[in-house]
Amino acid sequence: MSVTTVNATTPAVRKTQQPDKANKRRVKPRDLAIGLVLPLTILLLWQVAAQRAWISPIFLPLPSTTLFSFFDMVERQSFHIDFLASISIVTQAFVYGTLLGVGLGIAAGLSQTVERIFGPTLDGIRHIPGIAWLPLIVLWVGIGPAAKIVVITKTVFFPVFLNTLQGIRAVEKNFIELADVLTLTRWQLVRKVIIPGAMPSILVGVRYGASLAWALVVVAEGLSGMEGIGYLIFRAQSLLMTDQLLVCMVVIGVVGFLIDRSMALLQRHVLRWKQGFEG
Amino acid sequence: MSERGNLEISNVSKSYQVEGKELRVLDHINLKVAPGEFISIVGPSGCGKSTLLRLVVGLDDNYGGEILLDNKPISGTSLQRGIVFQDHRLLPWLTLEDNIDLALENSGLPNAQRRRAVAEHVALVGLTGFEKVYPHQLSGGMSQRAAIARGLVSRPEILLLDEPLGALDALTRLRLQEELLRIWRAERVTMLLVTHDVEEAIYLSDRIVVMHSTPGRIASDIKVDLPWPRDRASHEFADVRREILRSMDAYSSVAARAA
Ligand SMILES: Nc1ncnc2c1ncn2[C@@H]1O[C@H](COP(=O)(O)OP(=O)(O)OP(=O)(O)O)[C@@H](O)[C@H]1O
Ligand SMILES: [Mg+2]
Repeated sequence: MSVTTVNATTPAVRKTQQPDKANKRRVKPRDLAIGLVLPLTILLLWQVAAQRAWISPIFLPLPSTTLFSFFDMVERQSFHIDFLASISIVTQAFVYGTLLGVGLGIAAGLSQTVERIFGPTLDGIRHIPGIAWLPLIVLWVGIGPAAKIVVITKTVFFPVFLNTLQGIRAVEKNFIELADVLTLTRWQLVRKVIIPGAMPSILVGVRYGASLAWALVVVAEGLSGMEGIGYLIFRAQSLLMTDQLLVCMVVIGVVGFLIDRSMALLQRHVLRWKQGFEG
Repeated sequence: MSERGNLEISNVSKSYQVEGKELRVLDHINLKVAPGEFISIVGPSGCGKSTLLRLVVGLDDNYGGEILLDNKPISGTSLQRGIVFQDHRLLPWLTLEDNIDLALENSGLPNAQRRRAVAEHVALVGLTGFEKVYPHQLSGGMSQRAAIARGLVSRPEILLLDEPLGALDALTRLRLQEELLRIWRAERVTMLLVTHDVEEAIYLSDRIVVMHSTPGRIASDIKVDLPWPRDRASHEFADVRREILRSMDAYSSVAARAA
């Protein structure tokens, strides 16, 4: 039997699925429209409620006022500086937390000794929420970005660490056996089998960590320091500048959404080998 | 013809500890496989066929007796001994070509030669054109062929096959049997095949080893003296088939009496 006939008579190839997949991934206009109905309704309600003064304009300004106030903040209060301050803290903390979490997660996943050394301590630290650490760390390093970076790093670290550890422990024994049969060295085993095998789980942790980080920076900046979007939102509340408060909320929401979307894209790209993985 | 791939299993016994009790799985197994020979092992489920292959490939060195390859005792796993597991065991995160290449990671071949060897073996199992495809995009039969290619690419002296065609439909199975024969002739590798399909064993092998269970032991070792290509419908084929079934049946009638 020749090679070509084998190929020709094997119809079960799923290589020709590309167009189908692309179809599934592209959001159809109708689906998008359905998703927009509710936000638009809320916006409309907001407009009506503000216009008819169902709620006093001090507590609920018009959407148009809010939009105007956004431009005003950018122009006159250097809103982008606060915004970038928050982004910078989150980015640094996210990178440190992820690197530490993946690194220590791999080490603990591979070595029972490492897990035994770090396990109890980490468990203890884990049960004190990040925010509860903030006051102490502020006393040590001051109200600058450093304290927030430390606290958020801690918050990112744990989901990444735990998911990495669990992902490594869950790598199929069969694959480890295969690596043995192929005489892979320990390092080759880690690089070719264990890390890729744990990657789905690692990325779940990273994605979760990213969303936690963004949420936490708002709180941390509200509690200490004089800049950042979290600072602005609490200041706006105490000065009853509801329009600015709303601007901050919307910006926080949009950034959070974008962070999660980009994490989903990263997941989809890295895990493209996974069957039916749709993020 | 290569004179390597000379396997000698002598007096091998293996027990597992199950709930504190010793469960004897293999009992005094003796088997000599000549270089380039194709041997099939048939036997009831649970008689220790996979266990025997695990010992020979070196995944488990806790056994009694001796396993020699080319007159040297085996120790641990080695690229001289390849295995194709029943579940193809392709790594889902590697493309087909990278999966096959993984077997060459420690072969010491320069990159260019590695690439050539992979391409050759992809072609050998009829998967040219699918090099960049991930395992989930392959059919079951294609995955099995890829696993066979991975088993062969490091040029082992002996290839152990654990029901490699087990989960396939009848037609694909026949086609892959044909391919196995072609590969065996092309590569001149010693083959040790575990199968549940007596016809498959007769169609492919020089010799067929029949195992009985509890404890797993070799009941008979039957030489298949049929000319190639073998005709499944011939009288001689049917005779061998009867002989093997009788040898297997002896087991079940004994078991029936014991029950
Ligand atoms: N790790 C283990 N611990 C305890 N018992 C085991 C272990 N692995 C296998 N066994 C036992 O050893 C016996 C032989 O198992 P083995 O997998 O070798 O059978 P087999 O002949 O390959 O069967 P099948 O044809 O169903 O694949 C079985 O009774 C099984 O329960
Ligand atoms: Mg088995």
